[in-house]
Amino acid sequence: MNKTITIDPVTRIEGHAKVFINLTGEGQLESAGLVVNELRGFERILTGMDADRMPLITARICGVCPTAHHLAASNALDNAAGVTSPPAAQLLRELMYMGHLIHSHCLSVFVLQGPDLVLGLDADPAIRNVVGVVQAVPEIAKKALQCRSIGQKINEIVGGRGTHPVTSVAGGIAFVLDSDNERQLREMTDEALALSLELLPVVKQLLLKQIELHPAMLSEWVVPAWSAGTVQPDGTIDFLNGEIRAVDMAGNTVLQFPTRDYDQYLSESVLDWSYMKQVAILKDDQRHDYRVGPLARFNATDRYGTPEADREREEFIRTVGRPCHANVMQAYVRLIELVYFAERARKILAMPEIHGETRIPVKFPGGRGVGHVEAARGTLIHDYEIDENGIVRSANLIVATQQNYALINKTIAQAATSHVINRPDDQALLNAVEFGIRCYDPCLSCATHALGGMPLEIAITRGNAAPRAIRRNVI
Amino acid sequence: MPFENQSPVAGRLVEGTLIVCIGNDLVADDAAGHEIYLRLLNRELPAAVRLEYAAVGGIALLDRLTGLESAMIVVDAVQFGSPPGTVHCLNWDELPDLGVGAMSGHDIGLRETVAIGRLLYPEKLPERIMLVGVEGRCFNRTRDAMTPETAAALDDAVHLIRNLLMHQGEP
Repeated sequence: MNKTITIDPVTRIEGHAKVFINLTGEGQLESAGLVVNELRGFERILTGMDADRMPLITARICGVCPTAHHLAASNALDNAAGVTSPPAAQLLRELMYMGHLIHSHCLSVFVLQGPDLVLGLDADPAIRNVVGVVQAVPEIAKKALQCRSIGQKINEIVGGRGTHPVTSVAGGIAFVLDSDNERQLREMTDEALALSLELLPVVKQLLLKQIELHPAMLSEWVVPAWSAGTVQPDGTIDFLNGEIRAVDMAGNTVLQFPTRDYDQYLSESVLDWSYMKQVAILKDDQRHDYRVGPLARFNATDRYGTPEADREREEFIRTVGRPCHANVMQAYVRLIELVYFAERARKILAMPEIHGETRIPVKFPGGRGVGHVEAARGTLIHDYEIDENGIVRSANLIVATQQNYALINKTIAQAATSHVINRPDDQALLNAVEFGIRCYDPCLSCATHALGGMPLEIAITRGNAAPRAIRRNVI
Repeated sequence: MPFENQSPVAGRLVEGTLIVCIGNDLVADDAAGHEIYLRLLNRELPAAVRLEYAAVGGIALLDRLTGLESAMIVVDAVQFGSPPGTVHCLNWDELPDLGVGAMSGHDIGLRETVAIGRLLYPEKLPERIMLVGVEGRCFNRTRDAMTPETAAALDDAVHLIRNLLMHQGEP
């Protein structure tokens, strides 16, 4: 007699998702996973478009990481045209990106981690939400939101438009730094750094307190896997340029390759129960599950290259260790990255090269262009086949959540094992599954955001017996 | 219609109404907000109305408020479980509470956004905040797959918004 538990957290912005947990008649875990009904047809609509439009159109796939798509597309076009954008253009693209990443990480810390960390994992779900966070710690919330707002403004000044940036193009950027916006950007990056340095210790303490209350987070909720991130030649992290490095579970570098070779090492596979293709690293004919995102970048790179972020990185290694496979630590690394983004943005503004030439002419000779960035949630790859008239003939996009997919499913299986089998506590199951998935901050469709009342539901069936439904009603 | 008179002079348009249309113009029914935005752009609106388009809603809505608005109308595609094409008009506090069970940090709902705004930035929040929502069904396909009933309701939503603007000074 099989028992099926379905969690149906159809939330409003990241597409439609459903969690399933299948148990055998003996109560053992048979399978578990996240079913994703992602946006379909997007790669197809790119076909036949002018390649020059890719940075604009792909940025509009999604309102969550538009700048990541904008810049991955720009990198791909530079490569397709066989050009290197001028140093000033690359620095300005990176500055725009640091703004976006500051915004994105602040939002993740506030919306994702905030409720669990401030109110506690065991708090009543009726109050364990962002409004509850604001009520409990209004000053911290205000700082996180202020920092987010600054990041978004930096992105907007350099990117030319609010949510969807427009300035980065093949061959450079259509933006020139003048004394007015330079002064404004300097003030903003100073404030972002001050705020992130204030937020880091406060949020870290809240995290450590939750770990103290739930020691299983570090002992049981651990999913060992390979990690991938982007590095400069000397191993320093980079979010916009560099090679993809993969490290094994012990932290040893096993692969390092330029973006254009991704299809030799990353292997997509279709799951029969989900629209989303799962990606694994292929090495010596073996498929290896891996993670991308903040924790993976920490595992795969040697340093941040900015003083405050590297100081905290050393502290992390001293207290937690490296490599780290505890999902809960994504929150800690996200804070270190936040500090890095602000430090890096200030450093970029201090570089004299930022005032140089920002754009060179490009022509597509016909052929392939592959480019990538480290999006907030992990490595994002754009791959275009462009003909000699500059028209896109095919496109392939690999997003972070696809690469984390195997690990997300393992995390759900783990939550099921520790919270379902022989422990019929529905509330604890909901908490554990939600918490586990949230650690990856999955971006499931890069598409929709329609408002709606989407209850969190678990349907439990046992053989032919009537289904039992547990509903966390959010309306 | 819960858009009652807030104007000191009945029949006069209230100064500073912000209309924010939200939605991804590349995605089936999610494009409803963008379509309504384009249609409103081509209509004559009272001078005190500021019309804006945003790809996504959530907390960034607060950045758009100056403190001078007396009302904000948010226009968006919704999934409230009604038949596609249903046009909803709700006061913000009548909206479903989506604060629980968020799996992703991408954003938060209008109701939560307004609640946060009232707590942290009360001086910026307009007195009245409404949602005009067009019920959609398809959110995982590209623009050409917009549900016909949703497409057919766009003009109804435009009329509703214009009526709200014209009559908001009346009892």
